[in-house]
Amino acid sequence: MTPARIAFALVALAVALAVPFFAGQFWTGLLTQMLIFGLLALSVDLLLGHAGLFSLTHASFFAVSAYTVAILQVRYGVPAALAAPAGILAGTLLGALFGLSVRTRGVYFILITIAMGYVVWGVAVRWSGFTGGDNGVTNVPFPSIGGVGITSHTQYYYLVLAVIVACGILYRVLARSPFGLALRGIKGSETRMKSLGYKTGLHLYAAFVLSAAIASLAGVLYVYYNRFVNPVASSFPISVEAALMAIVGGTGTIVGPFIGAGVVLGLRNWVSSFFEMHHAIMGAVFIATVLWAPDGLVGLAGRLRARLFKKNPLE
Amino acid sequence: MSTPAIHVHSLAKVFGGLAAVDDVSLEVAAGERRVLIGPNGAGKTTLFHCITGTLSPTRGTVSLFGRDVTRDPEHRRTGLGMGRTFQITNVFGDLTLLENMVLAIVGADRRKWVLHRGVDAFPDVKRQAEDGLAAVGLTGRAALPVRLVSYGERRQLELALALGTRPKVLFLDEPCAGLSPSERPRIAKMIAGLPRDITVVMIEHDMDVALGLADRVTVLHMGRVILEGSPDEVRSNAQVRDVYFGHG
Repeated sequence: MTPARIAFALVALAVALAVPFFAGQFWTGLLTQMLIFGLLALSVDLLLGHAGLFSLTHASFFAVSAYTVAILQVRYGVPAALAAPAGILAGTLLGALFGLSVRTRGVYFILITIAMGYVVWGVAVRWSGFTGGDNGVTNVPFPSIGGVGITSHTQYYYLVLAVIVACGILYRVLARSPFGLALRGIKGSETRMKSLGYKTGLHLYAAFVLSAAIASLAGVLYVYYNRFVNPVASSFPISVEAALMAIVGGTGTIVGPFIGAGVVLGLRNWVSSFFEMHHAIMGAVFIATVLWAPDGLVGLAGRLRARLFKKNPLE
Repeated sequence: MSTPAIHVHSLAKVFGGLAAVDDVSLEVAAGERRVLIGPNGAGKTTLFHCITGTLSPTRGTVSLFGRDVTRDPEHRRTGLGMGRTFQITNVFGDLTLLENMVLAIVGADRRKWVLHRGVDAFPDVKRQAEDGLAAVGLTGRAALPVRLVSYGERRQLELALALGTRPKVLFLDEPCAGLSPSERPRIAKMIAGLPRDITVVMIEHDMDVALGLADRVTVLHMGRVILEGSPDEVRSNAQVRDVYFGHG
């Protein structure tokens, strides 16, 4: 990392740590959501930005994980130390099954992921004896491990922040590893990767399962923040929003999905306070992104900086 | 006689009703430089695809040093020692030249599965990648993204990638395609300079390049082998002149 980037990361971390002291509960809550949905968007982007696969089923892993935690904690009194890993495991196992879809490519992959997402949503709505139907599962307690527990949203914010920072560091290692490079190679040219000795299907499958695991972790963070889960968490719009967050922020980056989550959630909160048809505004933002900043806000910032400092990579 | 590097036996590839490759048999000795020539549509590239595993043949078998690889997928054939270049440049445009080479080098071994350590943690891979670029005359370009380098340099990288998997048999599909007459001798010289422990099978349209490099030449026409012989035999053969150089 360049010194400028390290400085930027430290300032961002300092601001994030200070937010609860000056910003009040509303902003802290919004920031918590931004981090959680940013992590979901990051999981989508592992496939989209690195491997070139556009998944629209990631709400499934997010929701299955959230439901697993909620049902284990609320109905069976399982402690968070077991319920949270069980949630991640359940979502990841579903990812191992849904990951078989990497046998398809392009529009067929997108369609099959949409279909799989609807299966999970249908189960969440219809199997009301188990999932609670439209009401979902409520009264999920704050997590506590061995007597040490979270008691406020501010404390929970710090827990989420710690998890996200750890994930960001690990994700950075992953993106720079031979495995991460191979995913970008497959995105660039799968035919060439095969001729270089890569079993590309297996690489994509591994990436899919890993991505489902990250989405599942986001699901765990979500259910403890929300304190309930209902079928909305598994719905198609969540999958679409997660992908759009990654695209708006900038695919193939680490901060991009989080910035995208901030923009989407911030705009929705702000616009919906005075305009009923806020979905239309969101749509306009996405169209503008695709037209004028197809590489997202991170890419736009990079291009502006290059223009300002006239940096020519050939010099 | 020793085991041939490549043995193709009665290979056919049929697309719908068209036999692009029709009952082709071919033996290439270890260390040989073999050039495939033939007019457009002769089936040269389809034959290449079938040998390297991009396509599976309708009939026939392919052996690599005596081992039947007809049913092996492409990536496994690479692991067994086949390397190839593409007629239409097939490199990773968004990655740097160094990253391109790193992919070629770790493709052959288990390090391609490492996800808990950065590429930087393998200094020997980086050194091999730099050496691979230097070998095709791309020294000093390692850090550039491919999309910023010239077409000619991409053709050089194309060759470097194929060599990066340390092949025993190298398949070159028109390595000089799209290059100007002044650029071609550079690539031809690189190919001529390859060590003899690499067997080379090459498709080439440029007759000077092709006949200058070849030990033996196979002429394909309408999916069939019509002649196999030394460059001189091919040059003086009337049938070849008819189908390949045209009447006149």
